[in-house]
Amino acid sequence: MIRSELMNSLETLILWLTVVSLMVLFGFVSARKAQRVLPLFAAYSCMLLTSAISVCFVYKVFGFRSLAAYYCYWISVLLNAGMRSVAIGELCRYKLRAYPGIWGLCWRLLTGFSILFLLHALIDTWGQPDRLAIYSLTLDRDLDIASVAILAALLLIHNYYGLSLEPLQRTIAAGIFFVCATDVISNTILRGFYTGYLFPFFAANRTSLWFALKPYFDRINDIWSVIHLICFLTSIGIWCYALRKPVPAQGEAPELLPAEVYRELSPAINMRLATFNERLVDLLRP
Amino acid sequence: MSDLIIVILFAIALSGILLWLLIPKHKSSRTTPASFPSDAIGALPTAKHFAYFPQIRQALSADDSRYLMETAPSHVAKLALRERRAVARGFLKGLHEDFSNLARLGRIVAALSPEVSRAQETERLVLTLKFQVLYSLVWLRLSAGKLPLEQLEHLTGLVERLATRMDTAMAEISALSVNQIRSGLGA
Repeated sequence: MIRSELMNSLETLILWLTVVSLMVLFGFVSARKAQRVLPLFAAYSCMLLTSAISVCFVYKVFGFRSLAAYYCYWISVLLNAGMRSVAIGELCRYKLRAYPGIWGLCWRLLTGFSILFLLHALIDTWGQPDRLAIYSLTLDRDLDIASVAILAALLLIHNYYGLSLEPLQRTIAAGIFFVCATDVISNTILRGFYTGYLFPFFAANRTSLWFALKPYFDRINDIWSVIHLICFLTSIGIWCYALRKPVPAQGEAPELLPAEVYRELSPAINMRLATFNERLVDLLRP
Repeated sequence: MSDLIIVILFAIALSGILLWLLIPKHKSSRTTPASFPSDAIGALPTAKHFAYFPQIRQALSADDSRYLMETAPSHVAKLALRERRAVARGFLKGLHEDFSNLARLGRIVAALSPEVSRAQETERLVLTLKFQVLYSLVWLRLSAGKLPLEQLEHLTGLVERLATRMDTAMAEISALSVNQIRSGLGA
């Protein structure tokens, strides 16, 4: 059993619920053979389960408040964020790859977005005090922001070109969106505590004060963990809901037009759209 | 505190997008382009407002307004002018629809093309955004009574030519697409 003397009953309950929910999710993924359609999401769910079990194991062996548990938890947070990013990449590619023209355009745009946000994450993390929690928290928060922005960009692209994600992919995207969005908020608040009120106590010459503040630090961490896990449980529920029905086979590739149709028609359409605007500008002239 | 406000605003915006994501779009209004529709002219009615242009042009003409002001009692003339502005707004809405159909045609062609030009796509996006802004401004001025109705006559001519050309173009694409598929099957 987990050393419950250091975890309150709510934390213990939520931790076990998370592990059980991840097992159910993994069961759904395996039963529906989701790896055939979304292999990276299947790998993500497998990784979530593995990391949850690993964290539980470390809690059991080393204790909930141990340094090993602390490192194990934050490393698992980073690994999960990385794997989630890969799953988002798969969602981006899933539908758009059938449309080579716009996929050729969009993957560059989405990659550019990702690089921009990753750079932002690195710059944001740079210069934080030498504590894994702040590093991980900042990086995790910024990766969440990147995930949300990329998912939003993906949806806008689909909407713009009149494409639609299939129900399974849409619900999975909604689950990722939910967990990322709530993480951004809770991580920002927690980071605010670390880099605001608690920041001076991270300095080396304040070590003695830090130990006095440790109970408060732990309390904040506990509240954050509970909020994080409840949101995460909700997302697992959304993913399980998405996988309640058999996964449909991938649709047939669309019939593409000859390349010259676009080359001839697109400039003509744009020219006429521009004429529309010119006439509207004329209307507005005094 | 300011960080918290930003985060809360961000959360509200995200919730909106999340809802938008979760609510499935109506199938008839948003269909995935799997192939260029053989009944494209019916599916994308670029010429929907074309049929009413002669009547609109007549209703918006300056001569018609003058005649109304001279012959009808003032309250009737005012009512008629108000009605005409409502008609003009309806017509503007129709123009918006025509623009949207044309832009959508461009996007469907892009989606179904093996390669697309970044410059063309960016240009169309900018034109669409610009149109939305201009349309809102024209609509506001028209509603405020600060836009002479006669100026809309210029637009009717444009849309009339546009609708004819688009109908021809779409018929050509449909024929080209069918021929391409047939030749592909024959090869």
